[in-house]
Amino acid sequence: MSYVLFTATGCTRCKIVKNFMTDHGIAFEEKNMKAEGKDDFKKFYSANRCFITRGQDGVEFPVLTDGEEIRQGIGASIAYLSAGKRLDGFFCVGTLHKEWVDGIHPCSGNLEHADEFLQVMRYLKKSSMKLQVETSGRNSHVLKQILEEGLADKVVMNVVGPTALYSKILRKPVVESDILKSIPLVAQFPSYQFQTTVAPIIRQEGDVPEISYLTPAEIGEIAKLIEEGTGNKKNPYLIRLFKSSESKDERLKSIEPLSSLFPYRTAARAYQVLTELEKVI
Amino acid sequence: MRYCKEHTWAKVEEGLVRVGITDFAQGQLGDIIFIELPQVGEVFNQGEVFGQAESAKSVSSLYMPISGEIKYVNDNVEDSPDLVNTNPYDEGWIIIVKPRNFSEVSALLSEEGYTSLLEKS
Repeated sequence: MSYVLFTATGCTRCKIVKNFMTDHGIAFEEKNMKAEGKDDFKKFYSANRCFITRGQDGVEFPVLTDGEEIRQGIGASIAYLSAGKRLDGFFCVGTLHKEWVDGIHPCSGNLEHADEFLQVMRYLKKSSMKLQVETSGRNSHVLKQILEEGLADKVVMNVVGPTALYSKILRKPVVESDILKSIPLVAQFPSYQFQTTVAPIIRQEGDVPEISYLTPAEIGEIAKLIEEGTGNKKNPYLIRLFKSSESKDERLKSIEPLSSLFPYRTAARAYQVLTELEKVI
Repeated sequence: MRYCKEHTWAKVEEGLVRVGITDFAQGQLGDIIFIELPQVGEVFNQGEVFGQAESAKSVSSLYMPISGEIKYVNDNVEDSPDLVNTNPYDEGWIIIVKPRNFSEVSALLSEEGYTSLLEKS
């Protein structure tokens, strides 16, 4: 198996991935897209454009390929080098830069490989990166391990709904107690935030599915869960706007946007007094 | 040659209009790695997006300086998008348009007008 790593001059994350491959005796060819690898990167981009993730600052580097798969960013690249597709779901391309690495999801991925997932986190932490973990609350025992080892500098818990709606919203089996266990863990990290996107939910499947947004009352339930789980009414809690263009479900893409999130903030502030609304530009 | 504020240029040639992006626009993008071209035969209104120019750091929509039908696209920039960087007014042209209305061309900015626009921004 031989790899090509597309890098950019001055990219610290690219250096870390290169070091990982050198340390582990993994053969690779580096192509610096700002220097000698410019033309090769152009050809690669042109041929694989629909598989390449762009963030706010453009293409996420490093870009790793073995000719079959493409992985981008430090987390996903090291995960693929360590364990191939076994760690798919745990890491995705992040949005943060400099010393921060995000796109780390202990709630996703195959739990059979949780140990390998933690190994990658340990490597990233040893490389002096600051790690931001994002979780829906599933796999609380993995989050507990992350807490005990001090592997995450910040945790963002996306509380998708009242626990009774979790399975419906995530479209996968969820043990409600698992979510409830995560809430107090999140509040023990050095930096943390709870958040909920006020999204439309398919409450009843069928030929004409019943779809409606999370209600202010349901947001209030979530805020109450956070209060009960942490024993604290002053947790950072962000209510976010649903962006239909980002929805993976076609049925949700054409939903009318909400006119205001203020009723949600009011409902949440009964239990979480620091609730804020996401600022939208 | 005339210019529009969305940084495309338009040059009348024997009843058709050749279109590309300005030197300013290619400089803003950096090394262009991909140009998304429209299909020949597609029709656009003035100001509509007809394509996209991508570099590693950014993506820029390409705007029609005039209304019309796409008669030709420059396949060379598909294979060598860097032509748009090195020769934005010449080999790096992007599309040739059959204009709906020639008065739209004369209403575009002159070189002085475009330079003045850049100086103000």
